[in-house]
Amino acid sequence: MKRIEVKLSLPVVAPLLDLMKASSDVLEAQIAAPITLDDIDADFREEWRAELLAGQQEELHALMGLFNSDFFINGVVAFDEDNAEIIVRACSALRLRLRRHDLSVLEDEQLESGGVDLETLPAALQKPFMCYVFLGTIQELIIQHLDGAILRGPVGDAEPSEDYGADADDFDSEKD
Amino acid sequence: MSDRGPTIARRIEPLLAGAGTRPGLAPEEVALPQSAYAVQGPWRVVVLNDPVNSMGYVVLVFRKVFGFAEPRARRHMLEVHEQGRSVVWSGLREQAELYAFALQQWHLTAILETDEAH
Repeated sequence: MKRIEVKLSLPVVAPLLDLMKASSDVLEAQIAAPITLDDIDADFREEWRAELLAGQQEELHALMGLFNSDFFINGVVAFDEDNAEIIVRACSALRLRLRRHDLSVLEDEQLESGGVDLETLPAALQKPFMCYVFLGTIQELIIQHLDGAILRGPVGDAEPSEDYGADADDFDSEKD
Repeated sequence: MSDRGPTIARRIEPLLAGAGTRPGLAPEEVALPQSAYAVQGPWRVVVLNDPVNSMGYVVLVFRKVFGFAEPRARRHMLEVHEQGRSVVWSGLREQAELYAFALQQWHLTAILETDEAH
């Protein structure tokens, strides 16, 4: 089974977790992406929303569960075929929330082009932006290394055992 | 209560199980019964651009949900990125709903359209 272990810098990532948790808590009751259900049968919409929300809750619990007591000891988070899909989705949900709520003053073009200089951002935007980039980096790592597992689904077991040691660039200051 | 079965997600499972393993039989190309079209009309699943989800993520989602080969997934992704929207599937209403739901599970902005809406 493919597995990525990412060693993160605790001093960099730990301060982001409060904001991630707060955003995650809001998304317990709110779907992250805008949805339009006008064309869906009226008696079906409530079920539709409820299932989307339940799935989103599960994703966010899985993501926040990575940052457990072990993480605060060794700074390592691990991704594999079992959690790759759910974590990638959780990152998307949180990034949508951060963009809409915390980073709404930024232009779409700034975010899409990556043309945002952290140093020049107002202090109140720096942590949300760090979170946004961090979650995007996690997504990229997973997609780069585990896209096959996601496409195949969590039950695939034919893959030979491999172990990747991936680094999360800006968030890794403790590489060997 | 809906007559669509116990859960939407459970209904999507077989849809996705086939998509991921048979990229040569992308669902958009499956012939649909003309009689069903006559009754319901074709429904389009449209993905709208958002500034958050990365290009790589969107390509992955299209491959996962529809079983598109990478070039086709990339083509739709670029259409979303450059034109603001892409019609990723069209066909019978119920299946269009399932695809839209699957895309929304991945936090993409997906809507349904019919000819009547234009």
